[in-house]
Amino acid sequence: MAIMEVTNLKKTFGDLEVLKSITFDVQKNEVVAVIGPSGSGKSTMLRSLVHLEKIDDGTINIDGEYLVNKGAYASPSDLKKASTKMGMVFQHFNLFPHLTVKENLEMAPKLVKKVSAQELSRHSMELLEKVGMADKASAYPSNLSGGQKQRVAIARALMMQPDILLFDEPTSALDPELTGEVLSVMKELAKEQMTMIVVTHEMGFAREVANRVLFMDQGEILEAGTPEEVFDNPQFERTKAFLHRNLK
Amino acid sequence: MSLDYILTILKPMLQGSQMTLLLFIIAIVLSIPLGFLLTLAVNSSIKLLSLLAQAYIYIMRGTPLLLQLLIICFGLPMIPGIGQYLVLDRFTAACIGFILNYAAYFAEIFRGGLLAIDKGQYEAAQVLGLNKFQTTVRVILPQMFRIAIPSLANESVTLIKDTALLYAVAVPELLHFAETAVNRDFTIVPFFIAGIIYLIMTLILTLLFKWIERRFTFE
Ligand SMILES: Nc1ncnc2c1ncn2[C@@H]1O[C@H](COP(=O)(O)OP(=O)(O)OP(=O)(O)O)[C@@H](O)[C@H]1O
Ligand SMILES: [Mg+2]
Repeated sequence: MAIMEVTNLKKTFGDLEVLKSITFDVQKNEVVAVIGPSGSGKSTMLRSLVHLEKIDDGTINIDGEYLVNKGAYASPSDLKKASTKMGMVFQHFNLFPHLTVKENLEMAPKLVKKVSAQELSRHSMELLEKVGMADKASAYPSNLSGGQKQRVAIARALMMQPDILLFDEPTSALDPELTGEVLSVMKELAKEQMTMIVVTHEMGFAREVANRVLFMDQGEILEAGTPEEVFDNPQFERTKAFLHRNLK
Repeated sequence: MSLDYILTILKPMLQGSQMTLLLFIIAIVLSIPLGFLLTLAVNSSIKLLSLLAQAYIYIMRGTPLLLQLLIICFGLPMIPGIGQYLVLDRFTAACIGFILNYAAYFAEIFRGGLLAIDKGQYEAAQVLGLNKFQTTVRVILPQMFRIAIPSLANESVTLIKDTALLYAVAVPELLHFAETAVNRDFTIVPFFIAGIIYLIMTLILTLLFKWIERRFTFE
């Protein structure tokens, strides 16, 4: 069952056509990896899905609800409803520096979902446990390593119980020795059947964890398929060239 | 120079300091929120409001506070027709002048604080489902305030010293009593005492802000 359907997404920045006509869908419980050269529009595409970028034309349907239908955005309340089905993890974590780890997790659900403090606290500790950060619950982000920050950011996104979790290069801002701890949390989520779209430069992760790989180039999805199809048997020269540069 | 003499002149000078402190407290308590509202106006999507706020800040920062005080105390009552309704008690007039002027400086400080906040903070808040108001109050303001503390401290010390401008609009404050004593007793000791009283006030203020800064350090 498709939980997300994206059709003919178009986006320009001034004269620059960043997304030419993006069409893909995401099945429930699927992990989709998005790879491609810098500037190909991966972030813009991902950000469009959570309404951080406004698209010019196209359709985004999340689990039966339209975020945009043929270029026309849903009403603010419907937009919000569709958006709450998605969580996002950013390259630079974007944790709230003035809140402790636990407060980072609890602020949004407290304000948005009006859950009881007790229930919130139980839920946040459970998620911190899961990402291995329970012992840092009362620390401030400034005292955490990059890998720890990103694990907290993942837990914060999970607090909202999204149906789909989006990642924009979650390990690109990390020292190489810290990427492992973040990737293993993501693998854990994949094992638990979390639906995820992951923009990544980690080819190993894409091959091992993704059910499907999308290769983006110059604002288009040039090639899509299973990891085996895309990595071992790419159809296009541009895919081959990209893989050649990045698989070493 | 006897201790007795110092004690005699200290009494009126401390009374004068009360005026200084009162002005300081009224000015800071009202100009900080007003400054913050100005910052919001500058950042408003309503173009006219933003332009007006910017013009206001430019005028207030671009002209001497003394000139503004003189206009409020002596200029407004001269306006034909409505002037008679604009005759204010000197101290009230001075308070208004200080509030209006300092609000412009505080607005600039807050604006700087806002500019220093990464846009990722707004994005994270939006994706987590916070509305604009919640984002401003829960995410942006605390960080803006934290960034602004050192500059607020600086500006507050300047404000303490600027209260001496009350002298120019003939409100009896610390400096006024010091000068009276200097002229009457033909000694400059009262000036030194005044200096020391200012130093004590700025020291207390500086310590207070250091404490606030520590309280709001998120580590
Ligand atoms: N706000 C913006 N204004 C103008 N141009 C933009 C903006 N954001 C992105 N672009 C341009 O759009 C193109 C696609 O950018 P995008 O960030 O989506 O690429 P990307 O595939 O995520 O690249 P990277 O791997 O470097 O993160 C780039 O040419 C970029 O310069
Ligand atoms: Mg990117």
